[in-house]
Amino acid sequence: VKANDGVLTNFEVLNFLRSRGAGKDLTRVIAPIAPSEFKVYDYLEQTAACSQTRESIISFVGKSKQYKLAEAEILNLINIRPSSVVEIDPIVEECDKRMGEGVEELVEMVLQVLPTPPSQMQSDDQVEFNKDDVQDGQEVEAS
Amino acid sequence: VPTLHTLPGSAPEITEGYIQMFYLSKIEHTLRLPPHLLNLPVNQAIKGELEGLFLDKVIADLGLCISIYDIHSIDGGFITPGDGASTYTVMFRMIMFRPFVGEVIAAKLKESDREGLKLSLGFFDDIHVPEHLLPMPKQFEPESGNSNQGRWIWEFNGDNYPIDAVDEIRFRVHHVTYPSLPVEQEKASKPFAPMIVTGSLDADGLGPISWWV
Repeated sequence: VKANDGVLTNFEVLNFLRSRGAGKDLTRVIAPIAPSEFKVYDYLEQTAACSQTRESIISFVGKSKQYKLAEAEILNLINIRPSSVVEIDPIVEECDKRMGEGVEELVEMVLQVLPTPPSQMQSDDQVEFNKDDVQDGQEVEAS
Repeated sequence: VPTLHTLPGSAPEITEGYIQMFYLSKIEHTLRLPPHLLNLPVNQAIKGELEGLFLDKVIADLGLCISIYDIHSIDGGFITPGDGASTYTVMFRMIMFRPFVGEVIAAKLKESDREGLKLSLGFFDDIHVPEHLLPMPKQFEPESGNSNQGRWIWEFNGDNYPIDAVDEIRFRVHHVTYPSLPVEQEKASKPFAPMIVTGSLDADGLGPISWWV
């Protein structure tokens, strides 16, 4: 994932801490992790990074190329995992001008490629439910 | 709790990577291993010393040191005559935290007063959102009477959107500064912050996440 020397996504930092034994349970007491490192772990576990995988990130980086985003913007999208156009807006500079309606495609791609963080679980599930209804050929009210 | 601004001993030589929220910096540092650590494997003793020296401390312009990522090389081990300690030159990489200007980050509300907001990431506390970088039009609602503490409210389309400590607040990094250590500090003054991130909430998609989702 390191297209540039030394850049780390939130996921990579979280993965590093997990591989050294960081966890949420009682093993904290004996894990060789400093208290300050645990604070970083606790923060990252509450972000989208907690359910991401190396594969999904690599896939996302590949699919982002067509949108001509800066490396920093791609990394920011991975870390925040926005699920709507308004959430992408502050991340991509001059979003409207540069992306136009392409931003809707980008949102779809984020939703499909990057795993749903636990906090967003409910709203994404609702989207899933509606899609299934459409496949069954039933009439569904636009949400 | 603020951390040390300047590090003891020789200044580390650093080659940096790309600017990002988290990044790896390669560092060369010379340190002394006190004799009481000589029974430990050298790698372990050195990692321990490096962690004690760097973890949770700010290096100006480079950011906050998070973790020792790996050790590339250890040279030396020579014991200076008359001194029981041995000296090593270590090349290693550290995970650094240094947000970039324009980066959007999720944080929690720590304090709210007339000057603006203070946000926190848990492992890093010195995030300021001054009142002029709050979305406008806005109003300050003091806790009581003329209290300095209170909450900020954004007014939009006739509705009130307060900034509370309930959900995640997304801010955009406006700038990062590394104040110099003051020569003297009065007893009652605020604790010294070696790295300050100034953030803005003044754009669509920023602020409490419940405003947008």
